[in-house]
Amino acid sequence: MTEEQLKTLLRTVKRYEQPPSEYFDQLLRDLHRRQRAELLRRPLWRIAVERVQTFFGEHSMSPVSYASAMATVVVVGVAAIGVAVPSKFEFHAPAASLAKNTPSQPRFTLQPSGQATASFSPQLPAAVFPTRETPPAQVPPRYIIDARPVLYDNPSTSF
Amino acid sequence: MAEDPSRQQDDELIARTQAGDPSAFDDLFRKYSQRLYGLVYNMTSNHEDTNDLLQDIWAKAYRSINGFRGQSSFYTWIHSIAVNMSINFLKKRGRRHHMSLDDVDSGIQNDKEFIELTATSTPVREANLGELQKRLNEAMQKLSPEHRAVVTMFDIQGMPHAEISKILGISEGTVRSRLFYAHRQLQNFLSEFLD
Repeated sequence: MTEEQLKTLLRTVKRYEQPPSEYFDQLLRDLHRRQRAELLRRPLWRIAVERVQTFFGEHSMSPVSYASAMATVVVVGVAAIGVAVPSKFEFHAPAASLAKNTPSQPRFTLQPSGQATASFSPQLPAAVFPTRETPPAQVPPRYIIDARPVLYDNPSTSF
Repeated sequence: MAEDPSRQQDDELIARTQAGDPSAFDDLFRKYSQRLYGLVYNMTSNHEDTNDLLQDIWAKAYRSINGFRGQSSFYTWIHSIAVNMSINFLKKRGRRHHMSLDDVDSGIQNDKEFIELTATSTPVREANLGELQKRLNEAMQKLSPEHRAVVTMFDIQGMPHAEISKILGISEGTVRSRLFYAHRQLQNFLSEFLD
């Protein structure tokens, strides 16, 4: 089979492979049905965005005023959220609770060799430790010493 | 140079669609559906897959039409969507498929070109028309989706190389080389049946 014969065969046979004439009307009806179904499934945020766009479109605003109006809406929205939910941004922890929080305090222990060591609780909240000071009027911090003081008369190390 | 009246008509229909008139989009659908059907059907060789893909293609076109700025013609734009979606579909489908072919109309028996072909090619004259259609589609399905797209647009739909290169986003040279390779492949596949 030559290349020309192949081309003619493709053109002629394929030209006659066609769906029935009413097929395309049905396809259009199916497409309409599908588009209506998609409309019902759209998320709320997309509907809201479209309504805002339509609103501004109907009032024939220029792109600059459209952008500034959108920016104003965003700023007012953020400010409104800030006024409505102020407590989220305040720090409520009372100072006294820090003093009661004994694991956050340094803990002195004596090793069997007699050397004093200091250790911190592993659950120490990092944000509290370096920044807050305990007010003097509140409960004073308690230091727990687990063992007897070091005896200087009888040093554990020898040279 | 005067603007192409078909393109001018398309531009008006697109502007009306973008302004919120869905009936204008229906007119675009009616104008291009038959050509798109031919493109997708000849790539899938399956009527049901073509039906599903055409709905996806038109639904996508409708969703995206507000972003259409007229850098290319609507014809090129909608064909690009159709080819890309068909190629993606075929890559996902892989080789697991069955052919579901449209009936070849009886008009082919009176087609002047086909009569001339049967006069010059004895195997074609002696072949059963249904069998010929099946073998031709089988041979097409053995091509890669990219080669099948080029053969469909050039040999079956009669598009020029330049238009195909715009639709596929490749150079005209690549279109020609893909055509050359695809013709060789098709000749090999069909020679078992027709020689």
